[in-house]
Amino acid sequence: MNPSSAYKTPLYWLGVALGPAAWAVNLQTIYAITPHACARPTPATIILSIVMALIAISGTLISLGAIRGDAPEEWTEAQGGRVQNFMAWLGVGSGIIFALVILNQLAAALMISPCLR
Amino acid sequence: MSDLARDAARHLRDNQLEQSELAALLLRIWHTPSGWLGSLTSVDHKVIGKRYILTAFAFLILGGLLAVLMRLQLAGAERKLLSPDLYNQVFTMHGSTMMFLFAVPVMEAFAVYFVPLMVGTRNIAFPRLNAFSYWIFLFGGCFLWIAFLFNVGPDVGWFAYVPLSSLQYNPGKRADVWAQMITFTEVAALAVAVEIVVTVFKQRAVGMTLDRIPVFVWAMLVTSFLVLLAMPSIMVASTTLILDRLVNTHFYDTASGGNVLLWQHLFWFFGHPEVYIIFIPGTGMVSMIIATFAGRPVVGYTIIVLSLIATGFLSFGLWVHHMFVTGLPQLGASMFTASSMLIAVPSGLQIFCWLATLWDGRPVYRTPLLFVLGFFAIFVLGGLSGVMVASVPIDMQVHDTYFVVAHFHYVLIGGAVFPLVGAVYYWFPKITGRMLNETLGRWNFWLAFIGFNVAFFPMHILGLMGMPRRVYTYTPELGWDHLNFLSSAGALVFAASFALLIANVVLSLNRGERAGDNPWDASTLEWATSSPPPPYNFSRIPLVTHRDPLWAEGVNLPVVAGLSVERREVLLSSIADAEPHTREASPEPSIWPLLTAIATTTFFVGSIFTPWAAVWGTPPIAIALIGWFWPTGSKEDEE
Repeated sequence: MNPSSAYKTPLYWLGVALGPAAWAVNLQTIYAITPHACARPTPATIILSIVMALIAISGTLISLGAIRGDAPEEWTEAQGGRVQNFMAWLGVGSGIIFALVILNQLAAALMISPCLR
Repeated sequence: MSDLARDAARHLRDNQLEQSELAALLLRIWHTPSGWLGSLTSVDHKVIGKRYILTAFAFLILGGLLAVLMRLQLAGAERKLLSPDLYNQVFTMHGSTMMFLFAVPVMEAFAVYFVPLMVGTRNIAFPRLNAFSYWIFLFGGCFLWIAFLFNVGPDVGWFAYVPLSSLQYNPGKRADVWAQMITFTEVAALAVAVEIVVTVFKQRAVGMTLDRIPVFVWAMLVTSFLVLLAMPSIMVASTTLILDRLVNTHFYDTASGGNVLLWQHLFWFFGHPEVYIIFIPGTGMVSMIIATFAGRPVVGYTIIVLSLIATGFLSFGLWVHHMFVTGLPQLGASMFTASSMLIAVPSGLQIFCWLATLWDGRPVYRTPLLFVLGFFAIFVLGGLSGVMVASVPIDMQVHDTYFVVAHFHYVLIGGAVFPLVGAVYYWFPKITGRMLNETLGRWNFWLAFIGFNVAFFPMHILGLMGMPRRVYTYTPELGWDHLNFLSSAGALVFAASFALLIANVVLSLNRGERAGDNPWDASTLEWATSSPPPPYNFSRIPLVTHRDPLWAEGVNLPVVAGLSVERREVLLSSIADAEPHTREASPEPSIWPLLTAIATTTFFVGSIFTPWAAVWGTPPIAIALIGWFWPTGSKEDEE
């Protein structure tokens, strides 16, 4: 392993971790705040969702930066053995999907009154 | 002399032997002892996997018979086949049997049999734990059904909501039987999940990097993590329910500061991932079948794996959509609506990958693929009604109606049972060495497809007409009888399809066409060994150089040499790159898992009657575990 790959190795899987983690923090926190949001309106849920969506997207960008080389031909790709690229692509997709979920939950917070039962 | 040289001198290794000599030696080491006592000691994952599969299908038949009984009762207005009390027991037993004794165990059973073969190892990790898990599952299932036969079958629904299941509203032992059945089956499921995770992470053949793992194995890995994270929640719930009923702990007693909604949160935190614990293995089976019968690698391997992982995570953020009518704040409910709708995205990605694989391949429409095509049609319909009920206003209207019954049967039977029956046709040749009859298979498929849709589609309309779930009858003026009659007729056709499957299995076991090693020209490692596989799985451990090793290398796979032929030994490899790390002894047959399961069963059953079971029931378990782990001086204990 050369020095540059050693530097990049710990980060390629980060999108897989950051996306779901950001979504879990977002969901649990806003669900805990919701029952109290009617009595004490706060923009905290909106701010939190924006921050968490950005964290999920940052996971995507970090994983994207770890992808090396061009996309190989399908049969070559199907050979496998490129674990780092595989995990990096998982990270890219994972960050996008979970950012999408967080943004959907943000949309709900923007549209629905917390006092509605 | 170096350690390596000393070790080599001490052990006879596979690279020192000719093929026939090696096979004979491996058979001597890995075989299960003969006789009925010997069979009780087996730790072979294939023997235990077969037992698991057969037992789970036996429970499917029992649960299916209950479904037929319910449909006969509901076929017309005010029928008197079942009393209200018996009907309550029947629908509870049906749901509990199908979810806890069939759907989850059968998926894990296929994993127990096939994951070690697909990753190229000789046995599952923790084989004695595997044996223990089977016995516990069997005893738990028998416990539930024996209780039912003695009129102590649970009658509180498969979810056993409190306060309905509290002592005040449910005196007697029916709710306790349900709660303790949960303990049995969850212990078994958790044990298998641990085995699968360790087998996949540490026992893969050299060269099987993370991006070469077969999709079914990925699916079972994700499923196992779901089991590990979801099932403790239901075990906490069922244990606290028993404690409430036995020693008045007041977890769910509102008069004493308890909370009934806590039950629903605990149950559905498990209950929704449970749906994916059943569905994700089904998608793994679909990927394997489609690749084989399209004759090409599955399109979008990375996207499919991503979808499996994303679905696994998201499944933990949906549980509140089962609680939309409990009066939660709408904003909180809408968070779960968002997750519920978005989980359709990874499922949709997988479906497009499968369609692309079929589009670009040369599909051969044999029975396994027919069941997969049936899965597409039914599961997509179930997914669409799922997106509907994810919306709070629609859910409020159709909650607890037959619309929901139709929805979840489309999802669970379409998403899991159709792929499962396809997998039976696909892997039966590997398990038995015989092909299932293709003509009967096609009849099986069309009966199942038509019968299922005739049985369950009308339930959507019945639900929209207002027919509630779990009613034992209805009056004629409600106008529900024609659709109910149609639904019952469809259910009988659907049941006939399973009778045909059983007939096909029985006939083909002895008279089926011989299968050979790889009758479908499939690409994964389970097809690289004989049908049925020998006790040691592979005489030489394959070296994997491609995601589809049999298509890339043909039958002459490169192999890894150096494993002992004097003791049971497996090769451990690194998690990401599957580089060889060390050789590890694999346990020999033992009676202790069975004895431990008997002791555990005695404790579990006793503890629903008296708290003193904790005093007299635990020492036998401790003694059995000491016997289990006691060093015997056999080769498996050598470092």
